[in-house]
Amino acid sequence: MSTKYLAQPDLGFIAELRGLGGETLKKCYQCATCSVACPISPEDSPFPRKEMIAASWGLKDKLIGNGDIWLCHQCGDCTDLCPRGAAPGDVLSAVRSAAITEYATPKVLAKAVNDPKKLPFLIGIPGAWFALLAIITVFFGDTMTKIFNVLFGDALGGRLHWSHAHEGAEHVIAHADFVSTWFVDMTFIPTATFAAVVFALALKRLIADMHANAVLEGKTDKTSVDYKALAQSVVNILPTVFKHEKFNECETNKDRATPHMMVLFSFIGLFIVTAVCGTMLYLGNYPGPYPQLNPIKWLANIAGVALVIGSGMMIKNRLANKDQLTAYKDWFILGVVFALGLTGMLTEMTRLAHMEYVTYFFYWLHLISIFLLFAFLPFSKMAHLVYRLVAMAYADYGNRK
Amino acid sequence: MDKKYGVYICTGCGIGDTLDMEDLVDVPEEEGLNCTTHPFLCSKEGVELIQKDIDDGKVNAMVIGACSRRVNFDVFNFDGCIIERANLREGVVWPHSRETYPALTEDQKDDEEHFDQIQMKAEDYIKMGMIRLEKVTLPEPFKTESFSKKILVMGGGVTGMSAAVDAAKAGYEVTIVEKTDSLGGYAAKLRSQMPVEAPFETLQAPVVDALIAEVEANTNIDVRTNCEVARIAGQPGEFTVTIKTPGEKIPFDVPFPLPEEELVDENGKELDADAAHEKYLAYNEGKEDILQMDPDGELYGAVVLAAGWRPDVIEGEAYEHLALDNPDVVTNDEFEMIAAKGKIVRPSDGKEAKSVVFIQSPGKDEDDSDFEYTGSVTSQVALKQARYVTEDYADGKAYVVYQHMRTPGLQEYFYKSMQQEDGIFMTKGAVTEVAAQGDGLAVTATNTLLGENLALKADMVVVAGGMVPVTKDDPIVNLAYRQGPGFRDNDIFGQYADSNYICFPYETQRTGIYAAGAIRRAMSIEESMEDATGAALKAIQCVESANRGMAVHPRSGDMTYPDFFFQRCTQCKRCTVECPFGALDDDERGTPKANPTRCRRCGTCMGACPERIISFADYTIDSIGSQVKAIGVPSEDDYDEPPLRFLCLICENDAFPALDMVGMNRVDYSPDVRFIPVRCLGSVNTIWIKDALAQGIDGVILIGCKHGDDYQCHFVKGSELAEIRVKKIGDALSSLALEEERVAFAEVAIDEYDKLPNIINDFVEEVDALGPNPFKGF
Repeated sequence: MSTKYLAQPDLGFIAELRGLGGETLKKCYQCATCSVACPISPEDSPFPRKEMIAASWGLKDKLIGNGDIWLCHQCGDCTDLCPRGAAPGDVLSAVRSAAITEYATPKVLAKAVNDPKKLPFLIGIPGAWFALLAIITVFFGDTMTKIFNVLFGDALGGRLHWSHAHEGAEHVIAHADFVSTWFVDMTFIPTATFAAVVFALALKRLIADMHANAVLEGKTDKTSVDYKALAQSVVNILPTVFKHEKFNECETNKDRATPHMMVLFSFIGLFIVTAVCGTMLYLGNYPGPYPQLNPIKWLANIAGVALVIGSGMMIKNRLANKDQLTAYKDWFILGVVFALGLTGMLTEMTRLAHMEYVTYFFYWLHLISIFLLFAFLPFSKMAHLVYRLVAMAYADYGNRK
Repeated sequence: MDKKYGVYICTGCGIGDTLDMEDLVDVPEEEGLNCTTHPFLCSKEGVELIQKDIDDGKVNAMVIGACSRRVNFDVFNFDGCIIERANLREGVVWPHSRETYPALTEDQKDDEEHFDQIQMKAEDYIKMGMIRLEKVTLPEPFKTESFSKKILVMGGGVTGMSAAVDAAKAGYEVTIVEKTDSLGGYAAKLRSQMPVEAPFETLQAPVVDALIAEVEANTNIDVRTNCEVARIAGQPGEFTVTIKTPGEKIPFDVPFPLPEEELVDENGKELDADAAHEKYLAYNEGKEDILQMDPDGELYGAVVLAAGWRPDVIEGEAYEHLALDNPDVVTNDEFEMIAAKGKIVRPSDGKEAKSVVFIQSPGKDEDDSDFEYTGSVTSQVALKQARYVTEDYADGKAYVVYQHMRTPGLQEYFYKSMQQEDGIFMTKGAVTEVAAQGDGLAVTATNTLLGENLALKADMVVVAGGMVPVTKDDPIVNLAYRQGPGFRDNDIFGQYADSNYICFPYETQRTGIYAAGAIRRAMSIEESMEDATGAALKAIQCVESANRGMAVHPRSGDMTYPDFFFQRCTQCKRCTVECPFGALDDDERGTPKANPTRCRRCGTCMGACPERIISFADYTIDSIGSQVKAIGVPSEDDYDEPPLRFLCLICENDAFPALDMVGMNRVDYSPDVRFIPVRCLGSVNTIWIKDALAQGIDGVILIGCKHGDDYQCHFVKGSELAEIRVKKIGDALSSLALEEERVAFAEVAIDEYDKLPNIINDFVEEVDALGPNPFKGF
């Protein structure tokens, strides 16, 4: 027999879940239709029945560190078939949101991401920052060049320059003339590093909690966590993730799989594009904009279009689906992704159309979008990218059946 | 009545196709009776044909050989006529087909080898019908000497008040007797009650004040507070009721029968009748005999028993793990009283109780039963009281650990709504222990929805105690009946005032006393109010039936009643003792007094009487006995290998309908069995069995309703008594050198028609193996 579990309901947690889109959590009467309906729930201690009672009891400890909440892909089959209208899919989504907040440091950022009232600040601060950088780039280019030369001068054999504009090509619109590439990278590399550190800290706790929960609920045959084997499991599950196998087992809103896949792959594509461009710029001393015939441009365009279409379809699906609840946290991240893609494409198009100030404006918006995505990655729903991957890997590692 | 006999045989529904109608018509005609056939007797023309004969004065006692008496009873209903329905359709041609039993050829008809089992059965049924007409008479309704339509309601709680209001609205005068000094009962002590009206989602203030106002405003209702019933004497329609102040000792307090242990002398020998009577008188000194009517008593027609319940006292070994001696472990009743006073605080130290565990089922993990005397009401009360905790404290937490959460009907909305409370937590589970821990209590449960071994911390624990019907402790009704002042077989009904779980709500074991509310079953206020309406209607039905000399229930409308041939009575008291409804009283010599309006006409007295002096107008020892004798018993003088012959006495309540269903489903069984429906197996007098065997019938089987745990007997004790009597008859048989196996007893439920053919065939086979009855042909 397992050891005694002292249930300590947390009324605040119940209120928090209600606020995060889990309004229906108390409606569950434990018939377990959801666990039967779920196409991807494992046979032993299947979710989401037990997560539903834990939620209605406000048992934060049983949910936050529970790997199963991440195995759920929120396909909505359970919500669709729930005889009580308890919407387990939405409740689990709220639980995941709470878990993201819980594991993220600092919490104030996580809370801000989930609070619509904070949105003007979230947009305004990077907006002002990039505006400042643009002013410096545009109006103080010479000063910056001087400062740059003083600082770096002949470093790397004089290959580094402040300006990344094409030499002798003043007629070409280059966004580096609006916000310096140096500035952009000086903003985003620390931001990304910050996100990575937040994730690393979170994962350290999450993996430990996930394992403790799995042991308590008899969901694993492992007694300790072997990080090497866990890493191997990450590799093991990658094909499943890429092929969206779990997503495709879903019945109710199967059409979500394709847009989600488009968005995932476009991000991967854009990641590659960014990496290649960075290499070309800093190692090849070959600044953009690159001609449309360049293969990297092909990838960038395809990924960009896919991102807009994919996230656009997701928004459309969300609007059309009355059964599934779409909370602020969902709109926030969908908005950011869509804006990211759209402003990116518009920036490029207006640049090609020689609409100099218009394209700069879109570029500014684009930078804000990227910042929102990067900076709040560990705090927003987007964090599922990491957590779900790790949870799926843990399930693989722990032989969750 | 000058009887004019006639026989009408329908040839429709396959009767004419299967049977040799010429031979069948010969049966009555040989007796000189006019016999008419019609292809569609239940049609307008068919009925008119009979009616014309009646109007012409040709017939007033008739056998109708057609379908079962369970159908078309309204069609073949002729005023002032004795009607016997010979069951040729469901009983003969439907179960037994010509494919299985081919018709005889002309040659075969006269040889001594062949016989037609179907035709034989049909002819026997016509003969049996004809003889019954001779033996029975038309019933004359019984009239009581005095009569009252007033209704007495015992108990001034929600149930009693609702019943009174309903009966009064229907135009009947009502008296409410309430032993405390005010109306309201338990409901008046509550903080809130479960919802009784749409949307059934929130607690509401008790309805009791409005109800009291309604009662007090109704001029048809007379309220007597600080009163109780000392005795109810007489019978429905003329109950003489003595009302007194609680605790007072008066001559018309009801006498109690001697307890078992008092019925023997110091040597353990049973007292003779005179000594027992003397002792009885001493035991009840100062009390008037039951047959002495109180001259100052008030007359009532019927009684609604709404005396309610008391909270169960939970104690004993089975509950040791619940730490009931801890002051902070209370029953739901005690919790309600705390809640009614104000905020929920702990009894031990008056500290705010913000975390309360409600335990619905005590069974550790051994069984999942709830506490005794509980029901859906206790589930709902737990929900209600859980709400008190969150009502009183914004951070209050109420846990409900249940094995069953019963919220029937619209109370489901209440459950849903309570579920929505953030501070109410529910799980199915088996509570294994309650123990003091630190400043509070720790509750552990296993097999919960949250997994095994759940632990909860609590300031208070509430156990869901049941609602014990007051009839468990006390007779309450104080009937001046020879069988005693209370209900006799309460054990069968879990101490509740009931007489049949399934079919007859409100009926107690005493005609004219209709139970409602928590005395009948653990009930909520909502259920009790509805129940009160039912009982009030039953009381009205009783008054109106008794007024016309009709049985109330279950033989509604029956105008017969037991008739005694007192010259031959030996004062053996068997009828008085065995009557399941205490209908009979006896005087000091033991001579029975019938009290017809108390009677349910089951005939248990008739079955009990060793002198066979009890009869009903249309149901007598002789009428059934003669039917038995009318059964043709072929012997070796008739055929080389004569068919065996069997008698089945079948209870008309469940077994007979099941047999009709066998026929409707065209399922075959031995055609050598003749069925005689009886009112109840309790009415079967063993003389019929003895006579049957004496005339050469090879075996007799009694088929009745179920008794025991799965109780379905319409007359509470009938099939049980019949089984005892059948066992006793075994000795008599062996003295006649007959095998005990020739008499059998079986039980079926009404839905077990599929089992009946096997029961019958197995019996036939068993007797067949014994060989023919040696008395055959004598």
